[in-house]
Amino acid sequence: MYWEKEIETLERKDLEKFQVKRLMKSLEQAVHSPFYGKDIEIQGIIRSGINLVDQLQELPFTTKEQLRNNFPWGFLSVNKKEVVRLHSSSGTTGNPTVVYHNRHDLGSWANLMARSLYAAGVRDTDVFQNICGYGLFTGGLGFQYGSERLGCLSIPAGAGNSLRQIKLMRDYGTTVAHAIPSYLGRLYDVFKEERLDPRKDTNLHTLVIGAEPHTEEHRERIEEMFGVKAYNSFGLSEMNGPGVAFECTEQNGLHIWEDAFLVEIINPITLRPVGEGEVGELVMTTLDRQAMPLIRYRTRDLTRFLPGKCKCGRTHRRLDRIAGRSDDMFIIKGCNVFPMQVEGVLLKLPEVGEDYRIILATIEDQDEMIIEVEVKKEWFRGDLAFLDRLQRHITRLIRDEVLVRPFIKLVEPGSIPKSEGKAVRVIDQRIK
Amino acid sequence: MTYQVSIFLENKLGHLERVTSILKAAAINIRSLHLNHTANGWGILNLVVSDPVMAHQLLNENGMSAALREIVVIKMTDQPGSLDALLKAIVKAGVNFTNAYGRVVNEGESAFFVIDVQDFKDAVVNLESVGLQIVENRSVYGN
Repeated sequence: MYWEKEIETLERKDLEKFQVKRLMKSLEQAVHSPFYGKDIEIQGIIRSGINLVDQLQELPFTTKEQLRNNFPWGFLSVNKKEVVRLHSSSGTTGNPTVVYHNRHDLGSWANLMARSLYAAGVRDTDVFQNICGYGLFTGGLGFQYGSERLGCLSIPAGAGNSLRQIKLMRDYGTTVAHAIPSYLGRLYDVFKEERLDPRKDTNLHTLVIGAEPHTEEHRERIEEMFGVKAYNSFGLSEMNGPGVAFECTEQNGLHIWEDAFLVEIINPITLRPVGEGEVGELVMTTLDRQAMPLIRYRTRDLTRFLPGKCKCGRTHRRLDRIAGRSDDMFIIKGCNVFPMQVEGVLLKLPEVGEDYRIILATIEDQDEMIIEVEVKKEWFRGDLAFLDRLQRHITRLIRDEVLVRPFIKLVEPGSIPKSEGKAVRVIDQRIK
Repeated sequence: MTYQVSIFLENKLGHLERVTSILKAAAINIRSLHLNHTANGWGILNLVVSDPVMAHQLLNENGMSAALREIVVIKMTDQPGSLDALLKAIVKAGVNFTNAYGRVVNEGESAFFVIDVQDFKDAVVNLESVGLQIVENRSVYGN
């Protein structure tokens, strides 16, 4: 049932005591870095000591921009000799975001990852196929070390090459696979092209999906395609990568591992904590990282705590699925729109595929929202009137959701470029 | 039953050519063609081909949205005024159609008129009752 029963089911008050103890150690570790070493507020707290986690709110936030501005070594809190690995963003725009790990950090990350997979029902008897990019991206090595720690037979399949993925699944009887949700739709298409049915022609019983915000409807579609349960995984490279929060077999919210992270949810404008159960920006402090502790890091991910206790018995709070990022919201015609709102509407329609693209463009001095939608092959009857009705129907549904009238562009199936990394959903071509 | 192949196409350079190259590779002959266009950047291509079932399958396998749609093909002469006479007969039969296109078979002699209707069974009976000649599949597909 549990990977680490004691810590996973620790009473809240004991968990908080544990957090305070670890937080103190984390702060003491952080001030070894050039960046936090200069922070007099942290120094002050270390001198006076803390007895409540809420005292953390006296400290300043850390932002992604600060990580970039202090590239490459500004946040390193141990001697470089002690560092054994780094992960980093691609950094195509400006300095990359880099995170360093020592042996202890990699060990605790692998453990959190194993705990997460165990919570989703993965066991050491499983064959685990990791369909995701290795290298600097954390999804590859994160799941690799975690599944090994758990004791699975792991297949480091890497991203892409769908025919090979299918062959690996069939050759070794893969029972659990991890992939980003937008890739699984594509993999399913290849199964169909090969005249195979993943429900019958594989031994899969569990999928793990993450790294891309997606809706409940999208998850249900994936579960339907593969005939298995798909569990949501949440992580970000600044907090190691995957293994930060994970769904248990109840599939009702993602347990965030509070022995390893101190979690706050704030209003991104006032920077004050939101009310109970309200959506806000996730702010995290590492509690068990030595090479690069981060204090009150603003993740930009929008979510909320789910109220109440989980039936699984774990006491670590549950996050709702990620509702988008505070910085991928766009404003068009005066309305705030999150791409997830558009996705929520589209995926309720059986006639359209998983892929879509939002293009913001200036047409005759007016800003317009163009949404490209793929019409599924199965639904095409060669009928102009049907497509016309569908187009109007989608237009109305989206206008009702986001209060802006979109221009719906029906496109041929497969014509929206699928990325093997995270899908690019919004393209802003507006003249500013 | 007689079929045309209908294909969803975006109005983009090379998209029609993708269809013809697939048909060419399978040596499927196009007997008649009609392209619908909407103001929204896409349209529907209707084709009468020598092997509609095979064409439909191949296009779908190549990732396109293609469908088989029933049509009625009526025989007529290739003379001035014969379409007018044909349409008068169709009106008399009380058959309304949503889409139509044609093809000359033998210049100055015979032609085909292709229509897309809502209710095929009734349409065929009514058209035949006013003396119109429905073309059999073998002649439509040209096999």
